[in-house]
Amino acid sequence: MSATPEEIAVKRQRWMTVARQVATPLISVLLAMITGSLIVLVTGGDPVAAFAALWDGAFGTPYQIGETVMRATPLIFTGLAIAYGFRAGLFNIGAEGQLFMGGLAVAWLGIALAPLPWFLTVPLMLIGGALAGAAWAFIPALLKAKVGAHEVITTMMFSWIARYFVSYMLDGPMKAPGPDGQPGTIPVSQMLPPQSTLVKFNQVFKFIPTNNAHLGFLIAVVLAVVVWLVLRYTTIGYEARAVGFNPFASETGGISVARTTVISLCISGALAGLAGVTEVMGVHHRMSDQFSAGFGFTGIAVALLAKNNPLAVIPAAILFGALSAGAGLMQLNANVPDKLVDIIQALVIFFVAAETVVTWFVKRRMKEVTKHV
Amino acid sequence: MSSFLNILTTVVQPDLFASAVRIATPLALAAIGGTICERSGVVNIALEGLMLISAFCGTAVALAAPGLFHVGPITATWIGVCAAVVAGVIASSLHAFASITLRADQVVSGTAINILALGLTGYMIQVLYHRTGTTDAAQILPPLFAFKVHPTGGLGVVWDWFSGVFLGHSPLVYAAVIIAIVAQWALYRTRWGLRLRALGEHPRAADTVGISVIRGRYMAVLMSGALAGLAGANLTLEQVGSFSENMTSGRGFIALAANIFGRWTPVGSYLASLLFGFAESLEIRLQAFSNIIKVPPQFFLMLPYILTVVVLAGFMGRAIGPAAIGKPYEKD
Amino acid sequence: MAVLELRDITKVFPGVIANKGVSLSLNSGEIVALLGENGAGKSTLMNVVYGLLTSDGGEILVDDKPVKIRSPRQAIDLGIGMVHQHFMLVEPLTVTENIVLGREPAHLGVIDFTQARKTVVELSERYGLKVDPDTQIIDLPVGMQQRVEILKALYQGARILILDEPTAVLTPQEVVELFSVVRSLVAQGLAVVLITHKLDEVLDVADRVVVMRDGAVVGEVCPKDTDEVSLARMMVGRDVVLRIDKTESHPDGVALSVRELVVKDDRKLEAVKGVDFDVRRGEILGIAGVSGNGQNEIVEAIVGLRRPEAGSIELLGHDITHDSPRKTIAAGVSHVPEDRHRRGLILDFDLAENLILGDHHEMPYSKNGIMRPASIAEVADTRIRDFDVRAPSRNVLAENLSGGNQQKLVLAREIGRNPELLIAVQPTRGLDVGAIEFVHRRILAERDSGKAVLLVSLELEEVLSLADRILVIYEGKMVAEFEGGTVDAETLGVYMTGGSKHREPATSELGATS
Repeated sequence: MSATPEEIAVKRQRWMTVARQVATPLISVLLAMITGSLIVLVTGGDPVAAFAALWDGAFGTPYQIGETVMRATPLIFTGLAIAYGFRAGLFNIGAEGQLFMGGLAVAWLGIALAPLPWFLTVPLMLIGGALAGAAWAFIPALLKAKVGAHEVITTMMFSWIARYFVSYMLDGPMKAPGPDGQPGTIPVSQMLPPQSTLVKFNQVFKFIPTNNAHLGFLIAVVLAVVVWLVLRYTTIGYEARAVGFNPFASETGGISVARTTVISLCISGALAGLAGVTEVMGVHHRMSDQFSAGFGFTGIAVALLAKNNPLAVIPAAILFGALSAGAGLMQLNANVPDKLVDIIQALVIFFVAAETVVTWFVKRRMKEVTKHV
Repeated sequence: MSSFLNILTTVVQPDLFASAVRIATPLALAAIGGTICERSGVVNIALEGLMLISAFCGTAVALAAPGLFHVGPITATWIGVCAAVVAGVIASSLHAFASITLRADQVVSGTAINILALGLTGYMIQVLYHRTGTTDAAQILPPLFAFKVHPTGGLGVVWDWFSGVFLGHSPLVYAAVIIAIVAQWALYRTRWGLRLRALGEHPRAADTVGISVIRGRYMAVLMSGALAGLAGANLTLEQVGSFSENMTSGRGFIALAANIFGRWTPVGSYLASLLFGFAESLEIRLQAFSNIIKVPPQFFLMLPYILTVVVLAGFMGRAIGPAAIGKPYEKD
Repeated sequence: MAVLELRDITKVFPGVIANKGVSLSLNSGEIVALLGENGAGKSTLMNVVYGLLTSDGGEILVDDKPVKIRSPRQAIDLGIGMVHQHFMLVEPLTVTENIVLGREPAHLGVIDFTQARKTVVELSERYGLKVDPDTQIIDLPVGMQQRVEILKALYQGARILILDEPTAVLTPQEVVELFSVVRSLVAQGLAVVLITHKLDEVLDVADRVVVMRDGAVVGEVCPKDTDEVSLARMMVGRDVVLRIDKTESHPDGVALSVRELVVKDDRKLEAVKGVDFDVRRGEILGIAGVSGNGQNEIVEAIVGLRRPEAGSIELLGHDITHDSPRKTIAAGVSHVPEDRHRRGLILDFDLAENLILGDHHEMPYSKNGIMRPASIAEVADTRIRDFDVRAPSRNVLAENLSGGNQQKLVLAREIGRNPELLIAVQPTRGLDVGAIEFVHRRILAERDSGKAVLLVSLELEEVLSLADRILVIYEGKMVAEFEGGTVDAETLGVYMTGGSKHREPATSELGATS
């Protein structure tokens, strides 16, 4: 069957859209790096040395690559969380709080489930941590659905509440016994037994010389595919997208906006919770209140860069993981404060936001053309 | 029972209310800025980041001014206050440009500013002061009134209360009250106020009678930046003296809730901020009794945030903001 | 001397020429009707005159002097005023505040409200447009709001007044009043341009008629030299069937039964105060009424978007009074909403995704929560073909379709579901004649195949031509019932404003209702 001229035109339009969708985030990142370089320059540093060190720190040796993968792992989860939220029309800025609760939950579960073998503890802990994240998003979700309370404010407040709650738990009921929990040290929970942790890659595949990358990365990648499938091929995903685009037409079409809002924000919370879960189970093997380097907020940049596409979250997260891995070396070798990475993150968000405007302009012109078919 | 009375008499002192006013001030200034901005139709999630950047610039300039301009510490601090306001205006112009001209999503743009502020201030602490976390302390502004007289006896107690609650504050605290009243009057009685309200409800209607939507909204955003600047200045230069990373601790978001609670009016925002200030003031004083009340300190610290959620839960349904808020204006 | 003259105005949008070398002149003391169907370019032309758009060619002359109008401010300064189809009124503000907005009497920036109020009262008395200066716009009925808009233009000093589709939201009586106001304004020296697509109004009030089609002027006539049929032919370019021939209806049993329905509106006031009616299978029941008299609330109660306070709604004997929209759809009710952009379609979804909205969770579109793309594609293609939705493929986004095709898409979905009851609210709003004809034919086809149809429309012509039975709603109650073909627009208008056969129609001096 040969394609009609119109179908060919539509196909070509779609390829161009895809090309544009990939090119523009890359341009945003480039612009963010350039602006970052200017800041370095203006404050007396050497941008070239800084970015060289950044690259080395991220990809220089297999060890560093492992670092990058390890740091990208929680970002895939938070990126997915925020991307899913955005698709449903919700801004889950409180992902940080949800991942804290996820980490706390598995820190407790890992000890409580200790007698069980790993093929039971690991799945149970993953589920438990995800549920903790979902539960932490539940009240803000309910408030948004019932009363219209803006989820940006409520999830942000819950984020602060979570951090204080974790601090209380680590100082009290979940304080590590013995010399770890002495005053003057960072409050930590008890060390998890081996069957409650996620193996590192080099423990399973002895020939891979990475040091820190762990199984959580694979779980994250699989989950990204699952989220993509859910959005595209399930009724939950359809309804989430429908409400995200137009809650009024969705309501008229029989979709319960309140129910979809709650489900969507809780799914988002669950994904964020898993970021905390994998950090505790894969990296630290215990909970502390310093365990997150702002993964919840970096997730925003990841989601926006990925244009809320779950599959694109993976490369976007690796990019920010690379920035994070290289920052230490950048501070050491080029004497540029590692906070530059946070600045670049914010700039990426800005440039991505600006770029959507360009797309909007293009869309409007396209609309004028096809409207008179 | 006696311990309860004991706690009551210890806590209910003039300082409880004075402290409430002090804590409320940065919230109120930021909230009023939020009111003005949102009344014009632009959401300003960035109050947190704007306060942070302004606080840093204010402190940095106040610390540098004696060396640069050869002035005394108090004058240096005042220069710092001006610098904070300018910083707030400049930073908010970024949000204005992104939201109004580029028509980007306003919540995303605001969040970008918050993250940028956090990163930039942390970065600059290292660059300027070669350490992380906290800067040196600048001279904080002294109270505006200082009375040598002190009556004794019964009158003395009344005087203690009156002067404690109302007279012991630094200048910006009074400025906040004045700004709230003036802004309220201006919103309903002046040309600027009428046009601002039209912009937030039905920008196209304003456009068709010749009012510039772009200019009106830019001005509103910049004003909110200036007020956030004052809020930041109050935080460092009137309360603490030094700047530490992330010292705003969510105040910008609480200010947003105060604006909603206050129904998008300046006086309402101030009173709502007073409520939050009182809650925090109470919480601080109760912490001293945490062994008697048997509640861990972290739970006291959570109170302001819990209160914010409760306020939003209880009042959001009945509070509807300006109709055109958050939607970029298209000339079509 | 022509007070306004347009020479060769051209306005181009990407992909379409909205105005092709249009020339027009207007004298003071004259009413010129700008006639054309939706999309002919009339509103674009007037937006150019009012400064909301800039022309790509041609010139504008005011009082024989060439001018450049780049913003509404400049248009206002030249004495040009415009009353838009969708009012430019700020709802929470008062009548006075709205009228003086932009030119407030003030000292040093502080508004002088006494002076403002005085001026408003003076103006309203001088031109015979009575309004209460202190009410909020949100409390005013539509006809009154339009007066405020006109007063606003007069306050700004308009000598040329452009009215864009002013009668779309008015009852026949209000139209009569509006035209008498317009005539008196014109007698005082103003010049008026009336943009409309309604032939009878044009013949009624205009001194001259300029007909536009596809962006160009195709003719200029005086009303006394022409009639509706020739005007319609000029407007559309071919002979137009002004009324569809329909066969007799053969109603066959009750489909929808509504009893003692009481519904509150968003402001917690009773909008529907106890209505009873039936819709039978094989008939079209039309509800005529001025916007805001409860018809929307009735529809929302039936489809489940609003909870009734009291009363019952039954479909084929099943109680659907408190059913959610999902349950109501499953019970067999389809709804073509008034606003296709907001309630009818998800513009960012493609055609296929829009076509399954409402039963997307059921077979054949999905099973156990998993969607079935092949079945969806098949059904989508069928519907697009059957309902003549013109688009390159089913994967095009709904927002890229023209208004007419979007409405066809909504119909394809709602009728394609084979409902027992079809509810259509303002189904032809904003559509061109060809699309209107299509929609009307499909609605009649549904009725002819034995379905029940509930038609709610503000266009009396539409109700009169389609409905087998007509109910008139006024202030939340049904006040009259007529068999199709036994009543005319004027009589309907009387009942729509609370009058009856034996009384004069209630004046629309009413202002805010309780």
